[in-house]
Amino acid sequence: MEIPYTVTARKDTGLFNAKVGIWLFLASEVMLFGGLFSAYVFLRIYADYPWPERALPIVPGLINTFVLIGSSVTVVFAWASLKMRQWRRFQIFMAITIGCAAVFMVLKTIEYKAKWGHQAVRMDDFTIIEGHAHYATILSDGKVEHFHTKNEAKKAGEKDAEVANKAAVAAKGKDEESGGSGKANLWKAGKPFKANVLLFKPETIDFSLVRAHESWVNAMLEQTGKRNSKLITAEDTFLYGHIEDYSGIKSDPRSSKERARKEAELVKEYATAEEKRDHKFGENSLFIPAGTPLSYTLLEKARKVFVAGRAHNAETRTAILREKWKSVRRDLPDEKYWDQAPEARIDSATDLAEEVDEEGNCTVGSKVVSLVSTLSFRMDPPQPIIIKRSWIKRPVKGQDGRAELRDDTSLNAGDGEGGSTGLLESPLALSVDAIDFRWMAQKAEEAGNVPMEVIEQSWIFSKANKNGSTYKKIWKVHKKRIAELEQRLIDKYGKDEEGKPKRVATETDRYRVTWQDFVHYARAEHDRLMPGDSGFDDLRPKFWNGFAGPNHKDEEIHKLHAFPELEIPHHKVSLQSMFTPKWNTYYAIYFTLTGLHGLHVVGGALVLGYYLFFSKGLYRSDPEWLANRVEIGGLFWHFVDLVWIFLFPILYLM
Amino acid sequence: MADTPEEIKKAQKKYLLIGLILFVFTVVTVAVATVPWLDFGEHGFDARDATIGLIIATIKAGLVGAIFMHLSHEKKTIYVLIVIGILMGISLMGLTGWAFGDPIKYGNSVEGDGFFNPEAKAEQH
Repeated sequence: MEIPYTVTARKDTGLFNAKVGIWLFLASEVMLFGGLFSAYVFLRIYADYPWPERALPIVPGLINTFVLIGSSVTVVFAWASLKMRQWRRFQIFMAITIGCAAVFMVLKTIEYKAKWGHQAVRMDDFTIIEGHAHYATILSDGKVEHFHTKNEAKKAGEKDAEVANKAAVAAKGKDEESGGSGKANLWKAGKPFKANVLLFKPETIDFSLVRAHESWVNAMLEQTGKRNSKLITAEDTFLYGHIEDYSGIKSDPRSSKERARKEAELVKEYATAEEKRDHKFGENSLFIPAGTPLSYTLLEKARKVFVAGRAHNAETRTAILREKWKSVRRDLPDEKYWDQAPEARIDSATDLAEEVDEEGNCTVGSKVVSLVSTLSFRMDPPQPIIIKRSWIKRPVKGQDGRAELRDDTSLNAGDGEGGSTGLLESPLALSVDAIDFRWMAQKAEEAGNVPMEVIEQSWIFSKANKNGSTYKKIWKVHKKRIAELEQRLIDKYGKDEEGKPKRVATETDRYRVTWQDFVHYARAEHDRLMPGDSGFDDLRPKFWNGFAGPNHKDEEIHKLHAFPELEIPHHKVSLQSMFTPKWNTYYAIYFTLTGLHGLHVVGGALVLGYYLFFSKGLYRSDPEWLANRVEIGGLFWHFVDLVWIFLFPILYLM
Repeated sequence: MADTPEEIKKAQKKYLLIGLILFVFTVVTVAVATVPWLDFGEHGFDARDATIGLIIATIKAGLVGAIFMHLSHEKKTIYVLIVIGILMGISLMGLTGWAFGDPIKYGNSVEGDGFFNPEAKAEQH
């Protein structure tokens, strides 16, 4: 079939069809991006926190702008080459265009990666701390140690395991000599993890059958296995329900003989009240003996029984209630239903009992089954469990020896009699590359306080912070530098009639110590310079330094110890996140806009790549058609460039 | 429309020139935002900086549209499509504007419910 108007123009529109098509599509794209841009505007206007102005590293964005503008020129040249029937030239320009798209995506990836690996913390007093989280490892004695890098943590973990295992083997030898059945319990060095988690040493863990989250259960199982511990059911549990699957007993790992014995014991225990009940529920129940190891499948099976049991109970109650209503209506036909209602109630003592003797005493069982909604597992021996802060349901204080997760899992550290709170010291340890007091200043102003006073009384400068003096020193230099800046602005721009300076330092200048500031002050300290000294300003990193943000691996920064350590106590952390959409609405809209734009770049490059690599045949048979196709692809490409022309200033420069 | 090979040959120079102008404008935008003595308005970022940045961006976008996308000499159908698209885009922004009247502002405030603020929680009890 021949497609009409691929080369010649339609008379009514004066255009070939594909051009109308692409413009229709671009019009819809204008609406899509327009909507998102307006989302940006409204998020910014209504932000209840200080908006991160000029927060992104400019250089990658600037290079990307050049790259996209350049590719817009080359794609036009590729089209022009086809029009002039120069295939070779077309190939070159198209290849450059696609190369530009690749460069753009590589830079974008570098930028995203930097954001995804950068730790942000909001403290309970609204101090914002940014930096790189340290790494931690759990040693064989259950202690946790922090290290600057992953590698250091890994090495320390391995060394500890080696020492521990030597001791274990030696102990085994001794044990065997004295006639014991010595078994060396070898320790495996755990993977280093980022020091932004909670560590809890539970004795028991209760899982909710209805809500237990598979990946969290598996994460705990994995950790338990690694630390030579196991999670096993604390006691025999009998679950009743109305399902056909009686596979719980089958999955009991112990010998069938022992299983049979255990089962027989249980039946004996329940025998009096159970005869009838077994007839009713026996086949649909699940018996989980004490010592059954945890698995998500086991929880799933138990959940099936629970759900079935709950349905059975609901059905039973409904049926009883229906009967009640019938009899009440029969007995009191003239009453209104609201007067009948008090009579139509379930009396749990008699109505739910299966058999009631003449005196009204319940003799056998109950019509409803008792539901087991949580399964308790013992951790043997107790070992620290790593919990992500995002899993936690409510603050873990430690006093009550409990940690509750959002899937209703509860980690319990005994009954508290032994003084065990379960919560191990879990500070958020990081190398700080920015401190931001703007939000704290905003809150202070709202409360009618002087921001500077509030800031200087904050935890980070207090004695409670063991690195407090370092930050005090940095803050002193920072304040001095800002005072210098203010003086310079007065000298240059003067004061107005009321005697107020015409230009003043911004909130960001005042209340945010950026990574450039940290490096600047560290260099100045090294050279023994203070703000105001000649040469102090020259030490400041330039805007092109630190390609996609602060580089913690930089030799100079490392040597100067420019990014000091900080250990934020667990209870002072209000929100922790990487620089991801979760952190604040700015990053949410940043990732939405640039992510969607990035997808357009990839999609456009694929189409242009198709023209470059698979269109020689079309060029031979109908070069004008191919030229029109390239024009269409080019129009889309220009649009992608056009969107970036707006994205760059609003996200990087404003 | 530049359709004959001769015209296209001539147009190429124009494309290069526009590319160059776009490069220069990009440098200007960054300079205005980063070099202190080029900073208009207040010290640091302010509304005037935003306006200048957006004006430059709009000029750049206009150049890309008019020259690279040939909008300076297009058929009427396409103008109609674009105008409809832009009007619809603006209406969408208007729809977002309804958020102005939204009475629920701090309903899910994290400070209020005591999750992130143990002290607030303690006060409630």
